[in-house]
Amino acid sequence: MSKPIILSMKNVSVHFPVKGALPFSKKRVVSAVSDVSVDIFQGETFGIVGESGCGKSTLANAMIGLVRPTSGEVLFKGNKLYSLSPQEFKEIRRDMQMIFQDPFSSLNPRFNVYQIISEPMKIRGGASVDEMKKRVIELLELVGLSEKDLYRYPSDFSGGQRQRIGIARAIILNPDFLVCDEPVSALDVSVHAQILNLLMELQEKLKMTYVFISHNLAVVKSICDHMVVMYLGNVMESGSTKAIYQHPLHPYTNALLSAVLDVDLDNKKERILLQGDIPSPINPPRGCRFYQRCPYAMKGCVDKKPALIEIEPEHFVACHYINPFAQEEINAGLAKPLNL
Amino acid sequence: MKDLMLKVRNLKVIFPNQMGVLKAVEGIDFDIPKGKCVAIVGESGCGKSVTSLAVMKLLNSPPAMVRVDELVLDGADLKDYTDQMMQEVRGKQISMIFQDAMTALNPVMTIGKQIDEVFIRHGKMDKGEARIATIKALELVGVPEPKSRANQFPHQLSGGMRQRVLIAMAFACMPKLIIADEPTTALDVTIQAQVLDVLSDMQKKHEVSLLLITHDLSVVANMADTIYVMYSGKIVEKAKVRELFLHPHHPYTIGLLGSIPKLSDEVHKFVQIPDAVPHPMFKPTGCYFHPRCSHSTLKCSQVMPPLKTLLNGREIRCFHPQNVVDFEEVAHE
Ligand SMILES: Nc1ncnc2c1ncn2[C@@H]1O[C@H](COP(=O)(O)OP(=O)(O)OP(=O)(O)O)[C@@H](O)[C@H]1O
Ligand SMILES: Nc1ncnc2c1ncn2[C@@H]1O[C@H](COP(=O)(O)OP(=O)(O)OP(=O)(O)O)[C@@H](O)[C@H]1O
Ligand SMILES: [Mg+2]
Ligand SMILES: [Mg+2]
Repeated sequence: MSKPIILSMKNVSVHFPVKGALPFSKKRVVSAVSDVSVDIFQGETFGIVGESGCGKSTLANAMIGLVRPTSGEVLFKGNKLYSLSPQEFKEIRRDMQMIFQDPFSSLNPRFNVYQIISEPMKIRGGASVDEMKKRVIELLELVGLSEKDLYRYPSDFSGGQRQRIGIARAIILNPDFLVCDEPVSALDVSVHAQILNLLMELQEKLKMTYVFISHNLAVVKSICDHMVVMYLGNVMESGSTKAIYQHPLHPYTNALLSAVLDVDLDNKKERILLQGDIPSPINPPRGCRFYQRCPYAMKGCVDKKPALIEIEPEHFVACHYINPFAQEEINAGLAKPLNL
Repeated sequence: MKDLMLKVRNLKVIFPNQMGVLKAVEGIDFDIPKGKCVAIVGESGCGKSVTSLAVMKLLNSPPAMVRVDELVLDGADLKDYTDQMMQEVRGKQISMIFQDAMTALNPVMTIGKQIDEVFIRHGKMDKGEARIATIKALELVGVPEPKSRANQFPHQLSGGMRQRVLIAMAFACMPKLIIADEPTTALDVTIQAQVLDVLSDMQKKHEVSLLLITHDLSVVANMADTIYVMYSGKIVEKAKVRELFLHPHHPYTIGLLGSIPKLSDEVHKFVQIPDAVPHPMFKPTGCYFHPRCSHSTLKCSQVMPPLKTLLNGREIRCFHPQNVVDFEEVAHE
């Protein structure tokens, strides 16, 4: 019996218009997220990995109603998120919260801890000051701070502590869906583990579903149940974290994995160095979006977009080269890698 | 010592302010042997950048106050060099690669012109020769189509390309020492791997000495020969890379290494160091790490442990070093 699906995206694309240099120049768009479908199960941690600009934040924002998809559908607990009335949306939105990457700019410096954490509760209304205070103290203790911190200001806290405040604020209304967008990348290295452990503890206690955005593949491996690997707005590989790490199939996933600099000195793996830069998401390649940097790119990769196909249970890959049919063609000498 | 490119003794940097004195760097010693890569590793605010700026004598005073007993570059003590003399040193003998290429490059000049200038000034070349050298330099650091790229402005390049341009520029004057302050922190993982590769290659090919400054132990694991670990303005441990990773002695180093998630891990909990780095204005008494340390004793909270040198040349500032092997007795204090 698999767990129920809490959020599902069907063929979601998000395009942003780009201002052209000339008023009459061809209209251009950034294809930030392109035709992405995912199912997120209740209570799991769902990872989104990929390099800067590949659309991780945009995808997560589309999940929680912050960015309206250009096309496609987002279903949260069975409700079509973008077809709800404003009132319904407001209500459902309380169940979905977000923790931001930068705890320095995401907290209002003129509010004290009590004001910051209680704000969502205040906006919702219906709670007395005493109730709010009690709840804030409860949360402070939950995230490893204390009642003493109630009337202090963000500037009195270290980065890790500020992130704890941000977490307390995000969970005050008991959300069951929490997006963590690079929650530790702005923090000191020695506090990463604290915050990650705290997030996992809270998930256990409060039974939340997490969407966890990260560029650290080692972290994703430890905490995510399912994941997508994105490149230029496309999903390259997706499925159960276990399957993906056991046999990473997409050349991009492999390159990402080999670029993780390990502190394990004796685990000298073959490094795959990708050529070139991440291309611009404005007018991205027609075929596979990764072909320009792919060491296995074939002729077909240039114009034909590979479909995301299930290679083994719970493991999907969008790659012509990995596709067993392409392999047959290669073996038969009908197709051959471009750059090898 | 003839085989040392840089020798720094008792470097102190403080920033006096209304509330008191911020001790950014509290008397550190370090050496960079010729042709080697030495790394200073530590968390945000521990004094890494201030150290590198002090070596270049680029700290403005005020606000900074710098004291150093010895600052010897290839046999010459720079301690009493004037600004003018330092300018000569900075262009010719030491060059720097910054984290943020955008601020290090001139935004209104093509990158080609900027590198040309280095060749013209230091290589005594004419314009034509310089451009040929520039294109070659760009090619060496892996900039594709170097001829046309040379005519582009910094903002037209990606972050990874800009960092390559900085590397090309840093090597252009054939310096003796290159200081790279978080050269890849702003880059994506696959780009970081490319840039580190280029930097490491260039360093080995040209046999320059490299001071690599970073908060990321995994970056130095693949680059450095020797590592200095800094905590809150002091060096707490020094060792050869392999020794440090296999037998870290300082509880802070152990904590840092343990808290880095590894791909080979099968655990679902991360090893954590409690609390946070002390505020630089309010450092604890005794060992600065003691409030976070699981081995700390009363003594640790009262006395700052001295930096001891072990027989094998490792250095450690701790009353309760871990994983110490028998033969590593204390050489001297
Ligand atoms: N509001 C917007 N208007 C125009 N373009 C945008 C907007 N938001 C994002 N983009 C573009 O969409 C693409 C995807 O951006 P997104 O922020 O989702 O990437 P990301 O994967 O989260 O990157 P990072 O790791 O840097 O946070 C980028 O090219 C970005 O420039
Ligand atoms: N110009 C300045 N005026 C006052 N204080 C300063 C100045 N420059 C640095 N400091 C302080 O000196 C200490 C060391 O700073 P430094 O920039 O060397 O840290 P770092 O180790 O390079 O950190 P990061 O990893 O964040 O770059 C910090 O507490 C910082 O606030
Ligand atoms: Mg983002
Ligand atoms: Mg710095």
